[in-house]
Amino acid sequence: MVAACATPGDEPGQIADPLEPINRYIFAANLAVDTTVIEPVATFYRDFVPDPARDSVRNFLRNLESPVTLANDVLQRDLDAAGVTTKRFFINTTIGVLGLFDPATDMGLARRDEDFGQTLGTYGVGPGVYLVLPILGPSSLRDVAGNVVDYYFDPLNYYADNTDRGHITVLRAGIRGVDARARTIETLDEIERTSIDFYATIRSLYHQRRQSDIRNGSAPSLPKLDLTGDTEDDRTASLEN
Amino acid sequence: MMRLRPFLLALVLATTFAFSATAQQAHADTEKFIASLGDRALQVLVVDSQSEAEREDAFRGLLSEGFDLRLIGRYALGRYWRRATAEQRSEYAKLFEDFIVDTYVARLGEYSGETLKVVSSRADDRDTIVHSEIVGDGRPPIRVDWRVRNGEDQLKIIDVVVEGVSMLLTQRDEFASVIQRSGGNVEGLLARLRDKNSDGE
Repeated sequence: MVAACATPGDEPGQIADPLEPINRYIFAANLAVDTTVIEPVATFYRDFVPDPARDSVRNFLRNLESPVTLANDVLQRDLDAAGVTTKRFFINTTIGVLGLFDPATDMGLARRDEDFGQTLGTYGVGPGVYLVLPILGPSSLRDVAGNVVDYYFDPLNYYADNTDRGHITVLRAGIRGVDARARTIETLDEIERTSIDFYATIRSLYHQRRQSDIRNGSAPSLPKLDLTGDTEDDRTASLEN
Repeated sequence: MMRLRPFLLALVLATTFAFSATAQQAHADTEKFIASLGDRALQVLVVDSQSEAEREDAFRGLLSEGFDLRLIGRYALGRYWRRATAEQRSEYAKLFEDFIVDTYVARLGEYSGETLKVVSSRADDRDTIVHSEIVGDGRPPIRVDWRVRNGEDQLKIIDVVVEGVSMLLTQRDEFASVIQRSGGNVEGLLARLRDKNSDGE
C-alpha cells in the first residue's frame, strides 16, 4: 500500500514518508520555534555556561539514563555491553561524583547509547514511516514506540510519578534538549545553508544515523551504492560528457 | 598422480600468497592515498590568514584531484540520470561541482586543524573502504570512512561517510526529493542548483 505511492520510500535505502505534507508542515513550525526560542536559549546556554559545567550537566543526565541503556543492552543480548554500562554507572556514580564526571571513559569504558528503537532494529523491525514530531523533531513509527517503552525502563519516571514530581521529567527533557541543541548550532546552520531541500536532508541524515546506531557502527559501516538498472555504458557516457 | 599433489598444493599456496600480497599492497597504497589527502585537506581548511575564497580554491583543487566528481554527481542523481538529456547532464555536472565544493567545505570545515588517522581498510565490491578517525583534542574521535575506487590506474574517492552518514547518499536523497517535488523533472533540480550557486557569490 505504502510502497505503491510515489514516496521517497521507493528509492532503495530511503525511509518511507507517506505523511510528507504533514511532516513538512510540522518541520516548518519546528524551525520557526527553533529560530525564535530554542536556538537563542541554546546559544545563551553555550555562551554563558562554561564548558566544564555543561559537560557535567550532560554527564549527569547520561548517567541517569544508564538503566535504560542497560535494559536495552540485555534485550539485544549484548552482555559485554551490559557489563560496560554497569561498570560505567558504578564508576561514574562514585568516583565521578554522582555522574557529574565521566572517569569511566578514560578507563577505556566508552559510552554507547542504546534505546528500544535500536533494540527493535536489531530484531529486524524497520523504521515504519518517517515522522516529524512537534518540538521533538525527526523520528519514526518504530522509534516513537521505542521511546514509550524506554519510558517504562527508567526508574526516574516511576519516582516522579509516585511522588507527584512530574516536573522532574519535563525539566530533564528540557535541559537535555537545550544541551543537545547547543552542541549542534554551527553544524545545523551549515547544513541548512548548504541544502537545497533542508527537510529531505534532515530526513536522510536521521535515517542513516539510526541505521548506523543500530549496527553500532560496525561493518557493514557503509551503505551499498545501489545502481539498480545501471550499466557500465551509462558510466562511460557520464565520463564522456 | 600422487606426485602431482604436492606440486598442485604448492602452486595453489603460491598463487594465494601472491594474490593476498598484491591485495595487501593495494590496501596499503589506498590507505596512504587517504592519509596524505586527508591531512592536506584538513590543513587547507584551517581557518587562518587565508581568505574564504583562497581556502575554497585550494580545497577545490584537492577535491578534483582526490575525488571522482563526475561519478559522484552521477550517483547523486540516481535513477534520474537516465531520464536526463545530454544537455541536462552536462549542465548538471558543472552545477554539481560548484555545489559539492561549497557543501564539503562547510560540512568538513569543522574538522579543520585536526589530524586524520587511518585505522584499517577492506575491500567492498570494486571499491576499497578506508576506515579512519579524525582526532581532535578534547573530543572523542570521529569515525570517517572513505570509499575509494580504483579506476584507470588512479585512486579516486567517491564517498565520505562521517559517523555512519554518507555524504553521497544524503545528497542523492535530497536531489531525489527535489526532483519528485517538481513532478519528476530534472529541470527542477537544475533550477535549484543554479539559484543555490549564484546565492553564494
